[in-house]
Amino acid sequence: MKLRKIIRWEFTENVRSKQFTIMTILLPAIVGLAVFAATRALGADAKQMAEPPPPVIVGIFLAIILYLGAFMSGVMTMYGVMKEKQSRAVEMMLSSVSAWELMTGKMIGLGLSGLIQVTAWAVTAYFVAGLFFPVSLASLSLVHWISYPLYFILGFLFIGSIFGTVGASIKDIHSGGAVGFAGMIPYLPMLFTALIVQKPDALWVRIAGFIPPFVPSVMLLRIGATPLASEGTRFVPAWEIGVSLVSLAIGTFLMMRFAAKVFEVGMLMTGKTASLRELWRWGRRGAS
Amino acid sequence: MRDECILEVDRIDKSFESVRAVDAVSFSVRRGEILGFLGPNGAGKTTTIRMILGIFNPDAGTIRSSLDSSTRHAPKERTGYLPEERGLYGDARVLDLLAYFGELKGLKRDEARDRGRQWLDRFDLSEWEKKKVDKLSKGMQQKVQFIAAVLHRPDLVVLDEPFSGLDPVNQDLLKEIIRDLRKDGTAVLLSSHQMNRVEELCDWIFLIHRGRRVLYGELDAIKEAHGVHTVQLRFRGDEASLHGLTGVTIGDVEVGRATLELSPEVTPDEFVRHLPAELEVLALHVDRPPLHDIFVETIGDDDEAS
Repeated sequence: MKLRKIIRWEFTENVRSKQFTIMTILLPAIVGLAVFAATRALGADAKQMAEPPPPVIVGIFLAIILYLGAFMSGVMTMYGVMKEKQSRAVEMMLSSVSAWELMTGKMIGLGLSGLIQVTAWAVTAYFVAGLFFPVSLASLSLVHWISYPLYFILGFLFIGSIFGTVGASIKDIHSGGAVGFAGMIPYLPMLFTALIVQKPDALWVRIAGFIPPFVPSVMLLRIGATPLASEGTRFVPAWEIGVSLVSLAIGTFLMMRFAAKVFEVGMLMTGKTASLRELWRWGRRGAS
Repeated sequence: MRDECILEVDRIDKSFESVRAVDAVSFSVRRGEILGFLGPNGAGKTTTIRMILGIFNPDAGTIRSSLDSSTRHAPKERTGYLPEERGLYGDARVLDLLAYFGELKGLKRDEARDRGRQWLDRFDLSEWEKKKVDKLSKGMQQKVQFIAAVLHRPDLVVLDEPFSGLDPVNQDLLKEIIRDLRKDGTAVLLSSHQMNRVEELCDWIFLIHRGRRVLYGELDAIKEAHGVHTVQLRFRGDEASLHGLTGVTIGDVEVGRATLELSPEVTPDEFVRHLPAELEVLALHVDRPPLHDIFVETIGDDDEAS
């Protein structure tokens, strides 16, 4: 039950911070109001486009939001872990809880607050889009309602734990180290957006949809693009969605465990940035 | 249950890469006892403490506690720790932070807040409870961190340099509190370089050097074993009469003043009784060498031996 307390602490401390208020409430509100005021001032007829945006746009949009949000939340986690290492409060913490509880609690707590942030933006974006398009949530099916939140939550935690690992393995923010690029791996599929959208049921796309780091973006794009693709493209089968979610969940768990082990070693060596080989050793063995 | 072994460390080893940081170290701490945990910088103190707390495990040897036979370290909920390198979450508010630490040690939230308030009051920090930790001075932060270590009434408290950075008034307050902990039956492991504080507080002494135990025992016994008594004497009369005393080595002598060393079999009492009648004693000061000297001497001997 200590895990729950750590999650609650990390979450509330972050949500209470000024930056969070600015990024989550102030900024989206200002953007929303500004666009609204601009359309009014120009006297533009709001619903200029008669056609609703095609689902693929929604898919791409969500994938981008997921990755932008997860990236920011990941950076937050990375800072949090690094601060934890540097503050030395960590020794007191570890005399109360395990490195696994501390790291997991931090990653989940910060991931959740990141999700709230992203939700605020998504709502803003929905209203802004509503000024131009006749958007409606009715076009989303049950599959979307169930799978999207899960891809978002797991995607946030997965990417958060990659950044958490980076934070645990570097000395300070200026030494990105050999592992800094690790946070970019989940972003690779975005480079192939056009290909995925054109043929969402190609074999390589289906396989990529089962590989944990690629799951969120590939699957969001696939689900979004299928109805638009050429005749005869089957909708993504439920079992594939299920397998991809399970695979992402397992991947997230392993990544978090890896992060905790790296943290366990990294906190005892504050003056050191790990090389790739060291990182692998830390992550496998932990401190003892 | 005063003899209950809250902590029993039995021949633990720990190596990092090829360096043996801790080598077959054994000691124990009983209920209501303060163990002075001493050693030069880099001797293996922090490594030993981290193993006791279960931050990592020893390569060999065992750590036992009468409180919980199932763990390989001191049971976390019954142990409090004040690390040498201080640090708290700077953005958090004082009382929130204390409550959080208390909760992680198994207290209920309200209970943790109540106790946090009581302790803040005792340390004269009540008006700071809603302030951010960063706004506090270093000394205040240290007091907050001490509170976090004892809030849950642990059976074992590990204090690493608790006095450093505190003004004399607060040092005295802390000393009083540590004595209270002992009175309540807490086992205290006190690591410090301030030998006078250690002498004032500790019942047992453990000295570690290069990962090995070089001295361990009751403070009084250690002082007795190492300690010839030194006598500072001021007198009127003929100093030649001092030469007749048995078991007394004469150090410096000048007119009216002498520094003498008593051999181990001569007690101060016997010495005073056998002082020559023709000497008129003006001032007399008998003392054992301070722990400071024993520390330096033991470390020096160990360096020579290796």
